[in-house]
Amino acid sequence: MSTPETVKLTIDGREVEVPKGTGLVETAAFAGVEIPVFCYEPRLGPPVGACRMCLVEVDGIPKLQAGCTLTAQDGMVVRTAAESEKAAEGQNATLEFILVNHPLDCPVCDKGGECPLQDLTFRYGPGQTRMTFPKRTFDKPIPISPTIALDRERCILCYRCTRFSESVAEDGQLVARNRGAMSMITTFENEPYRAPFSGNVIELCPVGALTSTQYRFEARPWEIQNVPTVCGLCPVGCNISATTREGKVKRILSRNHPEVDMGWLCDKGRFAYPHLYAEDRIATPLERVRRRGFGEISWDDALDRAEALLRGAGGRIVTALSGSETVEQAYALGRLLREGLGAHSAVLPEATSSALDAFRAPLSTIGHAKLVAVIGEERVADRAPIVELWIKQARRNGGEVIEQAEATLDPELESRLRASDSAVLIWSGRGGGGGARLAELAHSLGFDGKPGCAAFQLPATPNGRGVAEAWAAAADGDEENPEPIGLLIVSGDEAASDPAVRALAEKAEHVIALTMYQGLALGWADLVLPGTSYLERDGSFVNLEGRVQRLRRSVIPPVPDELAWISKLAERFGVELSPHASLVFAELSGRVATTLSFGEVGERAPLAARTPYEAPAPASSPASPPAADTPEHFLGNLRLLRYRPLFSGPAVERVPELRFQRPAAEVELAYDDAQRRQIANGDPVTVRSNGTSVELLARVSRALTAGTVRVAEEHAADLHRDVEVVRSP
Amino acid sequence: MPARSIVLAGADERDLTKFDEYRAAGGFSALAKARAMEPQAVIDEVLASSLRGRGGAFFATGRKASFIPKPDQTPKPIYLVINADESEPGTFKDREIMLRVPHRFLEGALITAHAIQSKNVFIYIRGEYLAEFEVLRAALDEIRAADLLAGVTVVLHRGAGAYICGEETALLESLEGKRGQPRSKPPFPAISGVYASPTLVNNVETIATVTPIIEMGGAEYAKIGPQDSTGSRVFSLSGNVANGGNYELENGTTLRELIYDFGGGIPNGRELKAVIPGGSSVPVLTPDQIDTPLSYDALAEAGTMFGSGAIIVIDDRACMVQLGLRVAQFYMHESCGKCTPCREGTRWMVQILHKIEDGDASQADLDLLLDVCDRILGKCLCPLGDAAAMPVASYIDRFRDEFQAHLDGGCPMDGASSLDNLFAPVDQHHHDPVPDGAPA
Amino acid sequence: MSALYDEIRDLVALYPEARSATLPALRLAQERYGWLSPEAFREVAEGLGETPAYCMAVASFYDMFHLEPIGTHLVEVCTNVSCALIGAQQVLEAFESGLGVHAGETTPDGNVTLRTVECAGGCGYGTVVVVDHRYREHLKAEDVPAIVEELRAG
Repeated sequence: MSTPETVKLTIDGREVEVPKGTGLVETAAFAGVEIPVFCYEPRLGPPVGACRMCLVEVDGIPKLQAGCTLTAQDGMVVRTAAESEKAAEGQNATLEFILVNHPLDCPVCDKGGECPLQDLTFRYGPGQTRMTFPKRTFDKPIPISPTIALDRERCILCYRCTRFSESVAEDGQLVARNRGAMSMITTFENEPYRAPFSGNVIELCPVGALTSTQYRFEARPWEIQNVPTVCGLCPVGCNISATTREGKVKRILSRNHPEVDMGWLCDKGRFAYPHLYAEDRIATPLERVRRRGFGEISWDDALDRAEALLRGAGGRIVTALSGSETVEQAYALGRLLREGLGAHSAVLPEATSSALDAFRAPLSTIGHAKLVAVIGEERVADRAPIVELWIKQARRNGGEVIEQAEATLDPELESRLRASDSAVLIWSGRGGGGGARLAELAHSLGFDGKPGCAAFQLPATPNGRGVAEAWAAAADGDEENPEPIGLLIVSGDEAASDPAVRALAEKAEHVIALTMYQGLALGWADLVLPGTSYLERDGSFVNLEGRVQRLRRSVIPPVPDELAWISKLAERFGVELSPHASLVFAELSGRVATTLSFGEVGERAPLAARTPYEAPAPASSPASPPAADTPEHFLGNLRLLRYRPLFSGPAVERVPELRFQRPAAEVELAYDDAQRRQIANGDPVTVRSNGTSVELLARVSRALTAGTVRVAEEHAADLHRDVEVVRSP
Repeated sequence: MPARSIVLAGADERDLTKFDEYRAAGGFSALAKARAMEPQAVIDEVLASSLRGRGGAFFATGRKASFIPKPDQTPKPIYLVINADESEPGTFKDREIMLRVPHRFLEGALITAHAIQSKNVFIYIRGEYLAEFEVLRAALDEIRAADLLAGVTVVLHRGAGAYICGEETALLESLEGKRGQPRSKPPFPAISGVYASPTLVNNVETIATVTPIIEMGGAEYAKIGPQDSTGSRVFSLSGNVANGGNYELENGTTLRELIYDFGGGIPNGRELKAVIPGGSSVPVLTPDQIDTPLSYDALAEAGTMFGSGAIIVIDDRACMVQLGLRVAQFYMHESCGKCTPCREGTRWMVQILHKIEDGDASQADLDLLLDVCDRILGKCLCPLGDAAAMPVASYIDRFRDEFQAHLDGGCPMDGASSLDNLFAPVDQHHHDPVPDGAPA
Repeated sequence: MSALYDEIRDLVALYPEARSATLPALRLAQERYGWLSPEAFREVAEGLGETPAYCMAVASFYDMFHLEPIGTHLVEVCTNVSCALIGAQQVLEAFESGLGVHAGETTPDGNVTLRTVECAGGCGYGTVVVVDHRYREHLKAEDVPAIVEELRAG
């Protein structure tokens, strides 16, 4: 007997009971019956019923129905191809029509072996072709971007890709042109599909029409392994599968954590894996040698040298962390340096805090929030791209999204947030004490105890909080800020490429750098120890939700894992440390964001429950390095926002296919400011601040607030905060 | 049966494009009458008239209006959208209505808006009808100046050349500024139409008929014509007939009466060969069937459909294979491309028909064509697929010998057909070379 | 800011949602510039708040939008069923020989584009030829030379 919340129906003679509102395709799956689909994808919005693959017979309705458009109703009797000749004929017809113009590309098509069209043709389609006319042809494949290839002949016009571009990423770049049998997928004027989420269309495409250029001809599905792990390039921590073949990573796929990423990836996480194989990757330890520059040394020698440097620093040791180390790595470094050497000083690019644990919730909460307030000057898509997709979804679901640069909320917004039971605060900018300020705000708005109300701070590092907490857990003891610094330990590529850390290194007597790439630390480090990538490590990360997620090593790195040599080095200082991530995690469990064991974290990690709000203690986390800006006397009329674009960083810089996504040498100007200065879109301009200037191209934006300009960090050189912009002569 | 002037009443005697003439002839009295009635009462009059949609679907108009939620049942605005996208081959009656009795038509729009309590009317008029748009715009300005709008906004929205936008959900998509591809139903426009709001979509002639219905009363209107198709219809007559044109006749008039009594019969000493009774989307009839009354049930019984009310007369100079090809080319050109069977199937039909017309086809090809039509039928997202498959299948069914003769060596008319070597729009796409078997 | 921006904003104001102004905005741009070039799409996009790709995708769906340059004059001959039955192909061929181009082409001097169209809605008064968006009805092949001359004279 069905309840008010469920419905009971029959599919192919099987009775099934499902919650009201369940779609028929899911209902059938629940009953163990397949309704084949192509265009149906709930994440793209309401079903469209376009491809006609899902035709089923419903008692009482003479015409075949598109199953994907139907919702399970009480007493419905459905027969699929398995039980209905009419439905089988309909599905067979659909496949015949699709194949009529589909090229016989299987032997050379990357999708072969993991292709829904192949699979469904086997199960429901005709065994032979009756098509004797020339099939429609196109030039193929066409690169619609350096990362995506389009084969219009293979395209079955299911419109999944265009619906993604329009209704999920909302970038409006991938569209359908013409009508009827002349329809084709294209971008505007053959311009590349340049958007942070473009790669998702590769996974969405049910045939080999949209394929990855990186993966072209690289492997067949039966030759690969998909290792479940988590992306380590931003604080979202999308769940991914690393496809490996013969010990090398060949591509990254989404693994779909419904609460975190909904099955989407940004192009950085998807396409940046070639950074593992960059030409300037360091394979052995390197030591600075006078006159010769750098020389390779053995690991034994390297550890000896490291020990000597550590002992020789007289306790005046500072560690510069990247925030992209695993929790275990940071803990191991902490044990070595703090316990073994009493060197408690560390710097991180940003402050971190656990204060937001009182208001934590899955990112999916944003997607159905009624009110979302995004505060801060940095674009969400640059810091935590998938969060931008959640925000867009909130808007599509009828929620209101308010974006403002200023940190203080006006009283009207405050009262609306206070009154709501479904509101989300998002802090996307610098400062804020790692979320402590946001937590204060959330607390003052009464978010405590309201599961629909949540607050997220978007960090600048992928695992800053995990690193900070692991470092703190490694020992007791206070920071000293030694002056001058005897030894600076630079951990990770991000730290090695940070100008603030570089400034510290210049003042330090000696430097040890842990880095993957030659270009970063050679020239100013005394000893360089080769590092690994997140794709090569076992370990855990804490994402911006406060969710602990587990990284799994997908390929064996060409250099030892950090835990392996840190534990060896630690031995020399009397610190016992396991080289195995799982054991290190066990030591830490309960002290870093979760009480779960390593095994319990699992493949789709759960989010721990909220903890009661505690006003955070002041200065409980490593300090940020001193700011690079100095007060200026020149008063320009415009305020410069330097931002770190999504497609930046040592990994991205080493992937040529992603170069086109990196920001051009541009300055973004508000429309009114441009008008007043008679600057048109694309004009060459000079951006001046006290004592320095930069030549850039103007990009006029109607969305930017007047009085501000935006320049990507890598193009902003030494510009100060107040600038003036004039047309170049 | 005599002509019956209801929608076009008075248009021969006076110039009803002039506001004052229309008013003098009794215009806008129905509007005043309707506005003095409760909205539901207006719907009841339409229900009483048994008026059925004149666009082609022939759905009971009063019933369709009663599906619209009342204002207290929905937080969204209620919209009336009028389908003036008339593009069904053979049909030109809405054009005549808008050209000759624009105020009567607009009056019907305002009456209907009152009936469903809508303050927002869109008229989607096919882009090619420029003159008609100008006439409507002038008439609307006059109505506005005469203060007859009563707070109702009427927007004239021009289409841009796409037959599929005559399908009501595709029209709504186009009105929303998108590619005009139909939507799955449910949800129906009455619940979620334009801007996801309750929307009533009606054809021009339907709306224009509402005015006289309110004038004379629904029950009076229901006395006219057969019960399954009350009232009159403006029939579009064209093809191999002496006097092509629009004729408003009582429903139930026979094809013979229309073609011979009003249309003047077949000119040039030719013989009648076939009749398409409801626009190109309906199955063809043969000369032995021309005593069929022009009504919904009678035509259904005869194996065809009332359709858009367009009667195309075909004489013995026309090759039915070439007709099939031309019709298939139309649907291939107009297919929106959303659903697989229509998009791929109409093109395949054209390819096979070319082969048959060229004399290169075998029996298997003819069987294949019938099977392709069958595989399209009933499987598509919207009626366009059926509209391609059904007529072509009917030509093969009713003129089998002619198709067989082509298999045995090409068109027996050997170049003398009126439809010989016809150049269709699909043959001139130059931005995408599509080898579809068309002769170079 | 583009030349059309303000006019497009006026069109947008007529509708509850800006996107509904897409067809009118495209028509405006086409009337102003003769055809819809990539630059025209950029202008329309800016006015509507859409992407150029979106505007192009919509325009390419509809027969009345020209995504390639056309002649000063446009001659469209209906060759659908009713007109075809009474000699549309002969009318078309008369235009082709009179203008010296095939259907789908533009005369070398850029004066006239000739093409066939689907049912124009004048079926009982065929053959229908639409010249610069105005309907000419009851046309036979022998009426064509005069029209060709008319177009030549401008």
